[in-house]
Amino acid sequence: MRRRTFVGTLGGGAIAGFAGCLSREDTDDEDENGDANGDPNGDETPDPEPENPDLEGTLEVVTYESMVDGDNPAGPWLKDAFEEAYPDAELEWTRLPDQGINHYINSADQGESIDPDVYLGLNIDDLVTVDDNLSDGGLFRELNTGRIERSGRIRDGLDMGDPHDRVLAYDTGYISLVYDENEVDEPQTFEDLLEPAYEDALIAQNAQTSDPGQAFLLWTIDAFGEDGYLDYWRDLQDNGVRVLDSWNDSYYGAYMNEERPMIVSYSTDQVFASAEGHDLSRHQIGFLNDQGYANPEGMAIFEDADQLDLAYAFLDFALSNDAQAEIAERNVQFPAVEDEHVDLDEEFDQYAYVPPEAVTVGYDDLRGNVDNWVDEWAREIASQ
Amino acid sequence: MSRSGDDSPPQPASQAGNERGQTSTSDGECQNECECESESEYNHERTLPSPDSISLNTELRHWLDSHALALLALATAAVLAVMLYLPTGVVLVNAVVEDGIPTLAPFVDVLTDPFYFGILADVFADPLAIGEHLHALAGWLAAISISVGLEYRLPVPFVQFELPIPWVGVETPGVRQGLFGFTAYQAALSTVASVAIGLPAAYILANYEFYGRRTLRSLTILPFVLPGIMVAVGFYAMFGRSGTLNTVLGGVGLGPFAFVESNPLAIVILAHAFYNAPLVARITVAAWESVDVRAVETARSLGASERRAFRDIVVPQLAPAVLTGALLTFIFTFMTFPIVLALGGLQLATVEVWIYDRIQRLDYTEAATLAVLETVLSLGLTYAYLRYESAQSGLSQAASPPPKEALFPDLRTVLSPRRLAILGYGLVALVLFVGPLASLVIGSLTDGSGFTLRNYAFLLERQLEGESFQTQPWPAIRNSLLFGVATLAVAVPMGVVISVLTVRAGRSGTIIDTLAMLPLAVSGVVFGIGLLQGLVFGISLPGGWQFQVTGAVAIVVAHAVAAYPFVTRNVSPLLSNLDPAMVESARALGASRFRALLDVELPLVASGIVAGAAFAFAISIGEFSSTVILASGSESYTMPVAVERYLGRRTGPAIAMGTLLLCVTAASFVVIDRVGGRYEL
Repeated sequence: MRRRTFVGTLGGGAIAGFAGCLSREDTDDEDENGDANGDPNGDETPDPEPENPDLEGTLEVVTYESMVDGDNPAGPWLKDAFEEAYPDAELEWTRLPDQGINHYINSADQGESIDPDVYLGLNIDDLVTVDDNLSDGGLFRELNTGRIERSGRIRDGLDMGDPHDRVLAYDTGYISLVYDENEVDEPQTFEDLLEPAYEDALIAQNAQTSDPGQAFLLWTIDAFGEDGYLDYWRDLQDNGVRVLDSWNDSYYGAYMNEERPMIVSYSTDQVFASAEGHDLSRHQIGFLNDQGYANPEGMAIFEDADQLDLAYAFLDFALSNDAQAEIAERNVQFPAVEDEHVDLDEEFDQYAYVPPEAVTVGYDDLRGNVDNWVDEWAREIASQ
Repeated sequence: MSRSGDDSPPQPASQAGNERGQTSTSDGECQNECECESESEYNHERTLPSPDSISLNTELRHWLDSHALALLALATAAVLAVMLYLPTGVVLVNAVVEDGIPTLAPFVDVLTDPFYFGILADVFADPLAIGEHLHALAGWLAAISISVGLEYRLPVPFVQFELPIPWVGVETPGVRQGLFGFTAYQAALSTVASVAIGLPAAYILANYEFYGRRTLRSLTILPFVLPGIMVAVGFYAMFGRSGTLNTVLGGVGLGPFAFVESNPLAIVILAHAFYNAPLVARITVAAWESVDVRAVETARSLGASERRAFRDIVVPQLAPAVLTGALLTFIFTFMTFPIVLALGGLQLATVEVWIYDRIQRLDYTEAATLAVLETVLSLGLTYAYLRYESAQSGLSQAASPPPKEALFPDLRTVLSPRRLAILGYGLVALVLFVGPLASLVIGSLTDGSGFTLRNYAFLLERQLEGESFQTQPWPAIRNSLLFGVATLAVAVPMGVVISVLTVRAGRSGTIIDTLAMLPLAVSGVVFGIGLLQGLVFGISLPGGWQFQVTGAVAIVVAHAVAAYPFVTRNVSPLLSNLDPAMVESARALGASRFRALLDVELPLVASGIVAGAAFAFAISIGEFSSTVILASGSESYTMPVAVERYLGRRTGPAIAMGTLLLCVTAASFVVIDRVGGRYEL
């Protein structure tokens, strides 16, 4: 693709810092669409394995910020280890733009080219958003799992349920309650939260803006059904639930300053609490109905990926024993593979809790529903 | 003295009719009108070159002199067209065009939805059933009851006494306010609180001299640059059940109190006051310091009481500034996000929350419709205010502020009622403004086991050993400062030009001024998505051309667009206070409009310009979304962007970065005020 860039004369040369003010693109750049796009009804295997895979060049991987910038992130380790395993390759991290998956949906919608090859950190509802707004099975390639040897190691419960097979899980978190055992007893069921003992006790997050918030809402939909969840939330409101904004300000603001004794959070809470020297009695994990809501994180290859072979190599690499352990421990999430394929520190095993039963609302149920569920819920809470 | 030929420079269309009196001031007429008093004042300022020294160079300068305002105005208009009207237009058009066909259906849907407009939705749904609506209103009014009681009791330490606080209870029958109604309601309360908290600060800063006054004045707008997450965490750390305030109160045997839990709306309003009371204070101080109080002496000598002289002479000169502060506060808190969710929760959601959600769900039609309604309301208020402001005709001829008293000259005065009130206010300010910031800093230095430096060690390590693709503290600081200074340099001329062209320009000037306030009146969420779709993705032009704008300069210009209204709103009230005869005399004596501006008006409103410059810098430092959207690569990140990127499951590193932001910004404000102070009279 040839791209000529012209610098305009607006403001007398002051725009030297604009990257491309007016540019003209050749229009015949749509050649890649269609042919490689996986057809779910077709019999052909997508992306057949080439005899001589091209493992040279720069692989661009887009991911969320804490993978690259957080405290002890997994990103730098993955880059070094991947480049060691594939000496002719370079891994380049791209930060997920502020609008998340919507950025790429908009790009695709407006015919913009998408630079990254791999998306690391995809949720099931992201795929639903893609399919609701673009064509079914859009944006990412249908994967040929035959080319990803280690894909068989992924635990059974973590099939992300995409009918177009675009995504593989690489880790998962569980949403649970975190509570202060000095103030409240562990609630056993959702109904318990409606008891007077838990009046004005619970902090949740806004399902419109927060991942754990949406997960908790979906968990109540799983428990009470599409027709019952709003009634349950009305009762929760009567019992004084507070729905705050993001996980960060609800946890580090409200919960850590002891506003309330219970919050919707992650089942790995004690890993952080013990590392920071907090009293673990305020960091007890509660699994309602002996369940936790699983939020698997997935990886996928963009439809127009330039480095297809390296992208497949990366997906396989991310499921390797070492990578799974590093991702889990640095991200403080659980590995996606069966136990025998990963060795975790004892410390991690001691403080990270796995629920007896994991629930998740899958692609088929989310499709066409999730926006309405969240909207009806939010209108219920916000009604003035 | 006057050089022939350039007294009435050809005026550009945008400027035509903006001069007072709307006719070009002809030489002789004006010389007759304004006598030598102003002439001598003008001569003090500057000596004009003698006619024989005119060369090509001076002719060029001359041409620039007489056209500078027009050129600046054109440049401003061009910048606004590209960086403001285009991106917002790209999104807002979704409200009125569906599949290429103009429609008003989205507005009908929103206006008649009780969720958005409460009981008003019925009125919008059937506006002609007036009798029915009046009947409903009468029934509602009849059911209101007002009671005054001593509802709240505050325990006083050490003595067995509870201080009753009078509380006016208004019992109204339940009314569905809707999202818009509640948003306006909390904005009105926040405005009242911000003015009530901001005015005493302005009074103290403008009327008393004390150690550190100038520094304190520079630091007033510090809250303005703080990312929402920091204010939220800071407020919890200060007012939470185990927060700093309860720890202090616990030291004297009180509490703990559930400040946040017992009234979330009150805490949201306080947080809004935390952001906006300093804004009210800063604008008012600027006005107070350029008040012309010489007339007070005249009035006093004619027998007016001190109170009467203040009311008749000082108050009218301050009113535009106070009202400006109130207007800006109302607009900001009307569009509040995300602080209202973080402290108040979804129960207290505002319109902006829903706009954000619609954008997230890619429902641009409803987002744009809500945003248009928000903007119409904000601009309507702005227009109403500006009509008032432009109707003010000032008589101020010099910045002659009231003399400053020493705050605490001796121990006796400390105990006077007025000084005690000031001390009491100081305590409130300490709790409300210093408290959350200090708690935040303490939070960055502690963890579960006590004092720790690990969060700062993280920043240092990231700086020294971080990978090139990781976010590092120093580039963030450097970019923030560079963008801040560049924004200041672009926004101040833009803002001043708008002020000069619109003050006293009658209705057309007011309309232009109102439209120029659009950056404040348009939803931040919509502006962000507009920048992305209009400038980053670009717009396809005929012939396969693509119009795109990104990069560092684009960031600065976007910041300047967000910032220049603050310059305008600081400068305009002061300009409208000036006696217009002074400019006319200067013009009659041969000065171009631009010269008159530079040599006569600007020095008199310098305190407003310095305040505006500080705001411009603050806006640039605090701006988040336009920075990340236009940066498009990862190199141009700023301090708030770094805060956001360090935010993970552990907030410590982000809060440490926020503390760094706080320190760097505070130091910058002091420098700006010191440098700017040289130009103040």
